[in-house]
Amino acid sequence: MAPSTIGAIGVLALFTMLFFRVPVWIALTLVGFIGNSIMSGVTPTFALAGTVPFDVGSAYTLSVLPLFILMGEVASVTGLSSDLFKAARVILAGARGGLAVGAIAASACFGAVCGSSVATAATMTRIALPEMRAAGYHPSLAAGSLAAGGSIGILVPPSIILVIYAAIAEQSVPRLFAACLIPGLLLTAFYMTVAVLFANLRKDYAPMSKGVSLRERVSAMKGPWQFLAVFLVTIGGIYAGIFSPTEAGSIGAFSAILLGVAARRLTLAGLLRSIENTVAVCGMLFVIVFGANLFSFFIVQTQLPVLLANGAQELHLSGLMVMVMIIIAYILFGCFLEAIGMLLITIPVFLPLVKQFGYDPVWFGIVFVIVVEVGLIHPPMGLNLFVIQAHAPDMKLTSIYGGIVPFLFAPLLLIVLMFLFPQLALWLPRVLYGAG
Amino acid sequence: MNRSRTYSLVDRLRVVQLRLASVALVTMMLVTLVDVFMRYAFNSPIRGAYELVEAMMLVFVFNGMSTAFLQRRNIVIDLVDSILHRTIVVALIRLSDVLTVATITLFAYAMIKPALQSYSYGEVKMELQVPIWWFWAVALVGIAGAILCAAGALIAPPPKPRHDKEPV
Repeated sequence: MAPSTIGAIGVLALFTMLFFRVPVWIALTLVGFIGNSIMSGVTPTFALAGTVPFDVGSAYTLSVLPLFILMGEVASVTGLSSDLFKAARVILAGARGGLAVGAIAASACFGAVCGSSVATAATMTRIALPEMRAAGYHPSLAAGSLAAGGSIGILVPPSIILVIYAAIAEQSVPRLFAACLIPGLLLTAFYMTVAVLFANLRKDYAPMSKGVSLRERVSAMKGPWQFLAVFLVTIGGIYAGIFSPTEAGSIGAFSAILLGVAARRLTLAGLLRSIENTVAVCGMLFVIVFGANLFSFFIVQTQLPVLLANGAQELHLSGLMVMVMIIIAYILFGCFLEAIGMLLITIPVFLPLVKQFGYDPVWFGIVFVIVVEVGLIHPPMGLNLFVIQAHAPDMKLTSIYGGIVPFLFAPLLLIVLMFLFPQLALWLPRVLYGAG
Repeated sequence: MNRSRTYSLVDRLRVVQLRLASVALVTMMLVTLVDVFMRYAFNSPIRGAYELVEAMMLVFVFNGMSTAFLQRRNIVIDLVDSILHRTIVVALIRLSDVLTVATITLFAYAMIKPALQSYSYGEVKMELQVPIWWFWAVALVGIAGAILCAAGALIAPPPKPRHDKEPV
């Protein structure tokens, strides 16, 4: 049997297992183990399976993952998100849709210390949704802005998914963190624009709020200074080349703890809960990385990406057409695959193909994250939509679906812009770190 | 020993491993922090900080996975929950429990040979000057606990499939 056929059967087996509820890490490991055994024999496969967990589990570069997750957990417990929303609400008071725009801005800022979309959506929903409802906002606009705002969490640095992408695609974390900044800011601006348009086209969806004085607005800006401090120290430190990502993660986590304790918002119980949550989350992440390594090695041996590339060339498909097909595939996968699982399953197959067509892996990482964001918010399975409904059980799912549709145009527009102007992602890494 | 007593013992093991992983995480954070401070303030970074973080990562990763296994926190695609009959979904959850034990045992078994090789070669870490087989031992002890916790899920009641849950 041809290696590429074995590869295709392996991918099919993987999806079958996933469909039948086999945990992602087990499906990756079993397909990787059996596939490698067929391709190169049982003894070398055992050698690989013996060293992969040790190499991954002791990788200094991966220590950034628990440290940034801890920083996000502590930020959630200490109510940083609440400060951000309060400030945004006052600054935008008096504007139609101001609360929706404020929720998006606060989500983007909170994402910049949290790194997770679902956590951002959950936290901001808890804080902003009651206020939006009290102000008479329609559930569709409230849910749409919160789901969309929450999804920004993985596109602004420090994005947890980009750290995992860096490990799998063998890319530099600082470069990826630099690459995602401009697209992250652009997407935030796009979402805000959609919220303003939405609120102004459907005036009954967003009643006007009372305006405040300029002095009050300026004073509100001082509220979330802790956010600025943590962000500047961690991400600023990485951009300036002062800290490595692991060092920035340590400093960020410690600063978040220190600020929480100083403001008397972090109790010992809260700190322990944050640490234990970090352990539990990483416990499931690292086993997936074990499995993904075995799977990736198998895919490389089968030369499946080469077969796909040759197939595309025989069909006279241009690089752009291949990329469009990959993006459509990701949007479809997003209906049933969770973001990290999707990354670890597909990157070994798609990345070599993407590189072969001359696209930059850093640029592709950012496009991938934007597509994942679409998956997080598009009906019927967008995870952020369920997060919002879990916090507002009385809100109809149809209202939430209706509210998110206008926001879906924003990431799709950004993907188009990324193709037209790749420098949106590649300019800042080049300025900060030189040509890759 | 009855089933609930066995489960509570396994859960106690999980808590011990969770705390070990937590201590490793905090140590990792503090070592890196002090290292940065010493480097910038006194131009004298901590010797072996990098390797210490690697060691703590092993404690963290191999002890941290127990909670994910015993509490069935691993990522699954639960589309079938709303399609298949409850009995079949429960059977699939049980199958996943068995596969978890088998797969993590496979990793543990595969790790024994390189661990023994590391012991016989007598390699040491460059800065900490400790034998590398200690690191392997840490990983193997952690993974042994993880196997027990994965096995513990076999005697735990299966979680409710999605369509059995309260509507959200």
